[in-house]
Amino acid sequence: MTTKISTKIISYYPGCSSQASGAHLDTSLKAVMPKLGVELKEVRDWNCCGASVGHIAGGHVPVAALSGRNLANAKEDGTTDFVTPCAACYLNSHYTNEKIINDEHVRNDVNEALGAVGKSYDGSMKVRHICEVIAKDVGMDAVKAQVKNPLGGIKVAGYIGCQTVRPFAKTERGGNWETYDEPHFLDDFISATGATAVPYKKKTSCCGGSVSVMSPDKTLHLIRDIVQEAADNGADVIATPCPLCQTNVEMYQGMINEKFGTHFNIPVVFYSQLFALSFGMDPNKDAALHQHLIPTDVLKARAK
Amino acid sequence: MSQAASPTPKQKYDLNFARWVYENVDGGDRMALCMQCGTCSGSCPIGTQMDYGPRKLFMMIRAGLKEKVLTSNTLWNCVSCYNCVVRCPRKVPVTYILHDLATLAVREGYAEATHSDNALFAKAFWWSATKYGRTDERLVTAKYYFAFGMSEGYKRGMANMKIALGMVRTKRMHIGMPHKVKETSELHKILAKAAEIEARNNNK
Ligand code: SF4
Ligand code: SF4
Repeated sequence: MTTKISTKIISYYPGCSSQASGAHLDTSLKAVMPKLGVELKEVRDWNCCGASVGHIAGGHVPVAALSGRNLANAKEDGTTDFVTPCAACYLNSHYTNEKIINDEHVRNDVNEALGAVGKSYDGSMKVRHICEVIAKDVGMDAVKAQVKNPLGGIKVAGYIGCQTVRPFAKTERGGNWETYDEPHFLDDFISATGATAVPYKKKTSCCGGSVSVMSPDKTLHLIRDIVQEAADNGADVIATPCPLCQTNVEMYQGMINEKFGTHFNIPVVFYSQLFALSFGMDPNKDAALHQHLIPTDVLKARAK
Repeated sequence: MSQAASPTPKQKYDLNFARWVYENVDGGDRMALCMQCGTCSGSCPIGTQMDYGPRKLFMMIRAGLKEKVLTSNTLWNCVSCYNCVVRCPRKVPVTYILHDLATLAVREGYAEATHSDNALFAKAFWWSATKYGRTDERLVTAKYYFAFGMSEGYKRGMANMKIALGMVRTKRMHIGMPHKVKETSELHKILAKAAEIEARNNNK
């Protein structure tokens, strides 16, 4: 297969976490995607998607209108693919887009709301997760072709979490790109960098999502189990595609140690940070490995 | 209690609430096809911490136990993992139904619902998302903690201080003005219209 790739322009919706807890996902993606032949065109003046609790306070139509405005702006920008790296943004944007296509009440309501400022949206964007773009459009050969600093010897537990694959990865409109029970894309990403993906059954277990943010007492045991299996299987780091998983699994290890008497201190990084490091890019400026609560020395030591 | 959109059954196995759910809740039409197999509850990572698993909750809806359904912690403890959705043999969109029932419980003013962590968090979150067009994790967290009152807010804040300082140090929490969209007035107009439509739909 040829490694020469033509550039594909996609609308990039980074989501709110990109300016806060998930800044290192955004930085590392912006560094590596052009190398993979994908130009990220940020959705013009994007707004919050409503995340996982918006519906409780806002209700259906306002939440759908939030995604509607983003999708309308992306469409006006003249792209066809609306791509996001955030699991919750993907869930909301994809779900709303499908509703706009399939449910005329939702379509009319969203357009009536957008109409207040002279905008409209017909459901014609393709809402995709950036991991699907990397797995399908880019492909592992193109990733491997960029690896100048293989991460041989580093053991990684690939932790996918929930909404990156559930409930859309095996639907036709969701790209039909993964299974729900044995998704392998993340292990493929890890292997492409030269690192070793350790066996990891917890790969699609839940970190508690936003419930962990608001009421960690309910869900710390879920995160404990996720970290425990990674530790048992000898992982040096946990890698994930999801900004909320990254934050939850990293920031609560201290509380988990206090509550359960464990001694966890495993760095949790994004696949895109592993890409940047293996592509020989700057460990801080591009891989953003300095933005971790649990130090990533095991990776930084490998920077070229 | 604010005016209830959904009917309250007068006797056991009165189907009027169930029928209302079938017609008005997102995915409710498919709930009518639930065959009580229990795959959802069996797949649920948090099932042991729920008053009732989703299977049982759906049976209770059919049994007319509206109040027990809308005051159950099932609606709040669901972590939105979507295991149930992808595994249900009848393609019942379980998670969406739980989300919608949660919204209904808040709208109809059940105290258990309006005082839940999730409803308080949602309020703080929605405030930031709609005022600025973006979620400011700092302001949302602070507003949420202090929704429990001054002393609880202070306690929760202190418990998470180490994490917060770490986030500031690693530049994952910024100091200064909130991030916001440029066209705030455009966004506010869209949301005001959307809220108007939402109210119209709910009163139908
Ligand atoms: S898995 Fe589906 S059919 Fe089975 S009990 Fe749950 S909702 Fe009903
Ligand atoms: S989405 Fe909610 S109800 Fe369904 S399995 Fe996950 S936690 Fe349980």
